[in-house]
Amino acid sequence: MIGSGIKRGTAELAVLSVLQDGPLHGYELARRIEQQTNGALRFTLAALYPMLYRMEQQRWIRGTWETSANGRKRRCYRLTPAGKKKLSPLQREWEELFRALQRLTKVAHA
Amino acid sequence: MPNWQELVRERLSGLALNPAEREEVHAELAAHLEESYEALVKKGVNQQAAVQRALSQVSNWQDLGRRIQAARTKENIMNDRVRQLWLPGFVTFLLSTSLLALFEVFGAEPPVLVKVGQLPTVMFFIPWLLSLPLVGALGAYLSHRAGGTQRAIFSSILFPVLPFLASILLVLPVSLIFDRFIGHNVAPISLVMALPGWVLAPGVALIAGGLPIQFLRSRRLDTRRTASS
Repeated sequence: MIGSGIKRGTAELAVLSVLQDGPLHGYELARRIEQQTNGALRFTLAALYPMLYRMEQQRWIRGTWETSANGRKRRCYRLTPAGKKKLSPLQREWEELFRALQRLTKVAHA
Repeated sequence: MPNWQELVRERLSGLALNPAEREEVHAELAAHLEESYEALVKKGVNQQAAVQRALSQVSNWQDLGRRIQAARTKENIMNDRVRQLWLPGFVTFLLSTSLLALFEVFGAEPPVLVKVGQLPTVMFFIPWLLSLPLVGALGAYLSHRAGGTQRAIFSSILFPVLPFLASILLVLPVSLIFDRFIGHNVAPISLVMALPGWVLAPGVALIAGGLPIQFLRSRRLDTRRTASS
């Protein structure tokens, strides 16, 4: 079973990575993550918003209300400088972890 | 189509946030549910089933409310800056000032006085200066352990001298302006001469202790990374 720390780490990395391309509102953010991971990562509303609010408190992202072309008000999240700074070490750590796991599974299958 | 905002409001009525913030959360979650519903309807799901499926994203509204509240309550979060800079900084500042007070009260050695020509005397508290590398090392360790960046670690190391530097920089222009008008004003040159004893020498001592710790810990991290790649 994947521990909550790992789950939280992957979720934060996913959000920060997707927001790197530009601001998005919650629903679109979840849809983009699902699409870009071919459905491997899915965020329900219950999983997404507590995380977004926590990341906002940590000042990694900032949410502002914006009105879309169809007149709907949506809260859009964008990456802050602190979030950008957080992203690269986070990416490196996860790459290292995946490489280590890959090596481990190769050894196990050899 | 249901009134999503009303639906969320009913389910998250116990959210203990200020009214404006609560409304904001309700509106945001309602917008998300509405978009989920519309996407399902577009895919051909009938309206009633789409409402049920949109709502099924939340299995326990009470739990969601609790988690949102915890995430949005500022007091619950000790953010990175506090852990990586302010906390190590205040610990080192407190420790260095306590050590200075202790050495002044119980220390037998008087401060070393250096006089250059007609300039005011510069004071060096040698036992205090000798203790500062340990303080710097502690600042570097605490900030590094909290995942601080190089800049945060360096600021934590130097934190104890920053208040001295700030006070000198603050008082200096004031004393320059009022020097001619106030009889007992602090002479600007005395303030400048306070820099070596209160800022420069302690700064060097702090760095002497802090930098090796920073270097050793980042080398250990690099070794671990190299080993894992």
